[in-house]
Amino acid sequence: MEMDKLGVLTTFVHNIVVYNIPLLYGTTGEILVEKSGSLNLGVEGIMAVGAIFGYILGCYANSLGAGILVAFLAGALCGLLFAVLTVSLQANQNITGLTLTTFGLGLYFFVGSGVKAVSWPAMNDYANIKNGFADVAIPGLSQIPLIGQGLFSHNLLVYLGVVIALVMWFYLSRTRYGLRLRSVGENPGAADSVGINVKRYKYLHICVGCGIMGIGGYYMALNMSGSFNSSCWINGYGWIAVALVIFANWNPALAILGTFVFGFFNTLRVSGSSLAAAFPGGLGWLAAVPTQLYQALPFIITAIVLVVTSVRKREGSGQPQALGLNYFREER
Amino acid sequence: MRFHVVKRDHCPLWKLLGLYVLAVAVALVLGGLLLLAMGVNPIAYYGRMFTMGMVGNKIAYKSFENYLKVFVPLALTSVALSLAFKMRFWNIGGEGQFILGAVAAATVAFKAGPVLPEPLTLVLMCLAGMLAAGLYGAFVAALKVRFGTNETLMTLMLNYVALYFITFLGETKAPWNFYLDDTSARPIFTSFASLASFPKIPIGKFGLNICVILTLLIGVLVYVYLKYSKQGYEIAVVGDSVGTARYAGMKVNRIVLRTVFLSACLIGLAAAFKVGTAGILATTITDDVGWTGVIVAWLSQLNTGAIFVVSALISMLQYGSTTAASTFSQVDSSFADMLQGAILFLVLAADFYTRFRIVPVKKGGNDNGNG
Repeated sequence: MEMDKLGVLTTFVHNIVVYNIPLLYGTTGEILVEKSGSLNLGVEGIMAVGAIFGYILGCYANSLGAGILVAFLAGALCGLLFAVLTVSLQANQNITGLTLTTFGLGLYFFVGSGVKAVSWPAMNDYANIKNGFADVAIPGLSQIPLIGQGLFSHNLLVYLGVVIALVMWFYLSRTRYGLRLRSVGENPGAADSVGINVKRYKYLHICVGCGIMGIGGYYMALNMSGSFNSSCWINGYGWIAVALVIFANWNPALAILGTFVFGFFNTLRVSGSSLAAAFPGGLGWLAAVPTQLYQALPFIITAIVLVVTSVRKREGSGQPQALGLNYFREER
Repeated sequence: MRFHVVKRDHCPLWKLLGLYVLAVAVALVLGGLLLLAMGVNPIAYYGRMFTMGMVGNKIAYKSFENYLKVFVPLALTSVALSLAFKMRFWNIGGEGQFILGAVAAATVAFKAGPVLPEPLTLVLMCLAGMLAAGLYGAFVAALKVRFGTNETLMTLMLNYVALYFITFLGETKAPWNFYLDDTSARPIFTSFASLASFPKIPIGKFGLNICVILTLLIGVLVYVYLKYSKQGYEIAVVGDSVGTARYAGMKVNRIVLRTVFLSACLIGLAAAFKVGTAGILATTITDDVGWTGVIVAWLSQLNTGAIFVVSALISMLQYGSTTAASTFSQVDSSFADMLQGAILFLVLAADFYTRFRIVPVKKGGNDNGNG
């Protein structure tokens, strides 16, 4: 009996990671975009575009790597569209982002279910994809009781997401280019005056950031356990990612932690009842909590974080000063 | 040859309209090519879409009534949002404010409907919807003026809090939950259409819902308010420059609070109109008007008249695509979202040329621009 309870806990921890990694991709991607001073509200749509093209072309190529690449490129193309409109053509960022969401979701559902003559591939028919997405245990670490199987036995895309977040943290806080990027996001006029190519920095980082979001969408499509159905789209992950950026204070390393916290609530929604059944004494009350509260919690927490940081106006806030403002050289 | 981007002072109206029409036309051609690739005749499809299935239809008046049901909430929400946007207050919380307004109005319908006369119930529904939504909006405005909290992100978060609140109401079977149908084992919202429903003015077979008239009336009032009233002038000044407004002795914080409250109130009214016509709540009650309204208000350049025209067109696109989907079963109604997105992208691009000019940089001239 004791082992079984441990099993429930391990599964719970495992699920937190498995089902919420798209959040990490979405968040790290959005951090990179926002650090360049652009508020991109199109995360949801970009993830959807990455999902559908990564999935379909990845399956046809029978290669996980091809899927990742296609998802990245599809996301980066959305980013390019966003950059052309907001950086070069000075369009409003909020409007462009919202439009990208409408367009991306429309494209997703149109390709996914609108083209009725074609039935899309099932992932399990493609051995390389199926095996590539299987869990790989990290030797040693995965032997740790309770958390070993929960945290260190996952598919490659989970590890990739964590690596991207850590590399981005290093890039932003420890390299020259990261410093320049941050200066573009804080004060593009000043960055321009010291010879930084503001446009190039914005374009590059918006595209790469959006590409990372695309991979997150691809992960989501693969995680729908093998069959493809557009009704599987998990609504709202892109928006939670926007919230998570704030929660993580624009720090990709903290985003890993933030993903875990938000994922914890997401997973309680699904697994709350099984936890309550395994530990009726301590966690029995979980079964009585409305599931919608778990869904709302990430947004409530982020709202509180927003208010608290604005009240304290502390020095360490990672929010770029010029976030959401377009840079027009002649108004410098 | 290098080019240089220069701000335009003024763009003539014909040029503006021409560019917008061109943008829409290009999007329609792109969509048409996609339809062709799927083996659908684009002209037949678009014909069906833009006539909304009314041509050669015996109950065309019914289609038009349904079209107006899509149009009213969108137009009113967009007008409401334009008030806040004029002040550069980025209220993208239309979804959340709409939901709370809808729940408040429905609550009044359930509680007051059985005891009060219907007209009074309807008025109370409107007031309740306005108050609930207005306070939800004013809450964010208060945080903004007091602490400088980012209103874009804050209203965004509150949208989802409201969404899961209405989902909670819709999915929780409990004795207290009078929003749900008692007779059904599954949780589903119950109708209150018999208790309170906005009246229609019959014109032949066609019934003109009173909400349509009220919405148009409010549009006129908002136009006059913004253009001719002192408060409207204050909004314009705060939007242009907070510093100037302060220097002129305006109480900026009060203006922001008042305007955002008013803006959210009108969204609540739109919600009351919506539930008072539909006679039932739904988790999808907003039909995304909070999002679409942001885009409509912006595309119309916050001009009240233009907002009505643009929302009429967008509603046509949305409602038309659902009617077209019933004839052309191979084209999913998500085609409309895509088409809408493509149109907006192109209009955003066209918008650039209404605000900026591209001039070649002369040789030997002041060549400092890549911008």
